[in-house]
Parts: sequence; structure tokens; C-alpha cells
Amino acid sequence: MPGIDECLLEAMRLPGARGAALVDWTSGLALGVVGEFPGGDHEAAAAEVAELARLAAEQPAFAPEGTADTGPADADPAIEDVIVSNRDGYHLLRFVPAPFDSGAVLHLWLGRPDGNLALARMRLGEMAGRLVLG
Amino acid sequence: MTVVEAPPPLPIRDKTTRDRVDGGLSPMLTRLAAEQATGVLVREGGSLHLAGGLVLHAESRFAPGLGTLLTAHGALTAEEWWTAVGEAGDLAGTARLLLAGGHLTRAAVQICHLQTLYDAAYFALAPSSSPGRFHYGAVHVDTGEDAGSPLPAVPVADVEREVVRRRTLLHGLWPDALTDSEPLVRTHPIAAPALTPRQTAVLALVDGVRTAPDIAIAQGGRAFPTLVEVRRLAAAGLLAMPPAPPPPAAQPPGPPMGVPVAPPDDFDPHIALLKRVRDALEAL
Repeated sequence: MPGIDECLLEAMRLPGARGAALVDWTSGLALGVVGEFPGGDHEAAAAEVAELARLAAEQPAFAPEGTADTGPADADPAIEDVIVSNRDGYHLLRFVPAPFDSGAVLHLWLGRPDGNLALARMRLGEMAGRLVLG
Repeated sequence: MTVVEAPPPLPIRDKTTRDRVDGGLSPMLTRLAAEQATGVLVREGGSLHLAGGLVLHAESRFAPGLGTLLTAHGALTAEEWWTAVGEAGDLAGTARLLLAGGHLTRAAVQICHLQTLYDAAYFALAPSSSPGRFHYGAVHVDTGEDAGSPLPAVPVADVEREVVRRRTLLHGLWPDALTDSEPLVRTHPIAAPALTPRQTAVLALVDGVRTAPDIAIAQGGRAFPTLVEVRRLAAAGLLAMPPAPPPPAAQPPGPPMGVPVAPPDDFDPHIALLKRVRDALEAL
């Protein structure tokens, strides 16, 4: 059964992948890192990814309708992923569903020329699902 | 219009102290890491299991452990967990049995282990009033199947830097470290901000007796996110620590019968707010 590193290496095989990390979105700790990161610093990148993920997870506007007020605290975040694009790349953040308080989010950095956002989003979703749930 | 207040940015580990955190956490741990000692460092808030300059495992009575986390929300049944613990005896063996039994994925065990390790290390390396003790060689190191050990070990320096970073993070949210360990009570601010589901759940468990770690254990969740939410709620004025009781010797005799008892002076929300501001300023 795959571990964190195997999952990140699999994500790195996606076209255009430059860096992949598994980040705890409450503390900003990188639980696993493969490849390169913006500015060459994976710890800074992880802290910034965690901030964005937390903001997205906590704003009721992004929750599915009817769940904003009632979601139990231990449930996975109501949102699935966050996508940021800029001139030269894409950042995909995918929350990892888990039957325990994991707080984990997958971060994938894709270069714009080779990256295929639709494919990466689909594959990252599958990987996040398999990571903990098997 | 709702104004969304962005939380303060998460701190980034200080590059100048990247190689060594000096004078902060535990000089003993620094020395043990330098000599690549193997054993268990026992401090007031918890213990660290060391081998060859790596932290294999950390535990603290304030931080829910691997078993609590995995059994609380149905990843495992309590029976599955305790059967594996009983057969294996140690943590690495338990994890190996659970993996072999197909109960969990390797990544699930790794995530859970790393999260509980850093959570417990935060409490174990908290400032303490008594010195730590180190028991050499008390760690059972799995040499036979080391490459196959399912639980990742973390360099001591990484753990030290992360603990410092987490302290900075919490300090930035609300600078009173006593909220990590003291019983909490609800307060009623004049303009309460909107709460996230996590905050609502934490607040529901605040009863004047439970501390932040008790709330994490009651929820079956990790300790650190609860500490974060408690500090944010304290900063928003939604919870506080109860006023310290006066020392018993100085306690005046009870009021005579028939005399109305004055309410405590932080009954008034304005006074409670002023006290919090004062406490926060003093803690800076």
C-alpha cells in the first residue's frame, strides 16, 4: 500500500508537474515534499498553502448549500479543491478525505506550458481519495 | 456587509536559526541530538523517544495519541486497535500489524503518526518547572526490519524548529500561553463574530472545567488545531480563563446571612473586555 512519498511521486508523473507536497492545513507543516517549490523554499510554500486552504475551508460561502451552519466539526472540509492560476503555472490544492482528524491537503504545482489542469485535477482527486481510504 | 478578517499569516521558520535552535527549548535535547543518543527524554509535559539523532515517537498526556485519533471517528474499532497493541507490544509493531491486516493504508498511518508526534512534542518541549530526565537505551529500536518500519522518524532539529514555529503561530493569535493548559469558561462579548463549524464545536465543549487538551480528547481530534481555535476564540472574546480563586488563607469569612453577595467584577462584559486587553498587553 502506498505511503505519502509514493503518492507524491505519482503526482509528479503528471505532465508539467514541478512540485508536490502534503501539508497540514491547520499548522502549515509539510508532511511530505517532492520536487521544487516557488522561491525554492518548501516550508514557506507549505505555510502559504495552509493559509489559503484554511481560508477556503472556513468561509461559509464556499460550503455546499445547506451545510454551511450544520457541518460537524470533525467532518472533512466541505470543499474539495482550490485552484490558483498565474502567468506561468497552476497550483492545485486537494483536501484529503479521511475517517480521522487528518487535516491534510495535497498541493501540486504545475508549469503552465506542459500542465494539463483538467487532467491533473481529476488524477489528484483520485490520489487524494486513495491516500487514506485505500 | 460582512467583513472577513483574514487570520494573521502563518509564521515561517526562521532561516537564521535553521541549523540549531539555541537556548529555547531544551538544552538537554540539543545535547542528546548532538551525541546521537538513544533513549527516552522525559519532561514535565511529555516524553520524546530518540534514536540516533531522530525522534521516533513522542507522547504527552495532553495530546491525543495514534489510538485515540484512529478509533474516535471509526477509522478503526477500539477492539481492532487494542488487539493489535496487545499482540505487538510497541507502537511500530502495532502499526505494522494494522497495515498487514489491511485496516489502514500506509499513508494514513504516516499522516496520523507525524501529526501526533508534533502535537505531543509541542507539549513535551513546553517550558517546565522541573528538569527533564533521560533514560539511555530504553527505546526498543526495530533493527530487523528497519527499512520496513511504517512510522517515519523525524530529525530532532526539525522537531525543535517546528515547535518554535508553532509557539510563534499561537502567540500571534493570542499571546497568553496559559490557554493551552488552564480550564476555560465562556464569555459573552458585546459583538460576537461569526464562528466556523470547528469553533462552534470547541465552544460547545467549554464548561469551566475542561482545558484545551481535554476538549481535543473529547472530540477525538488532534491537539494543535484545538489550541489554535481556543486562541482565536480567546482573541475574539468568546472564552477566557476563570479568575484565579483567592488563596485560602486570605479568604474572608462568608458574608453574614441576609447580605446580598456582590457578583464577581468581571460579570460586566465591558470589564471582562478591559481585563482581556490588560492581560494581552501584559503578555506582550
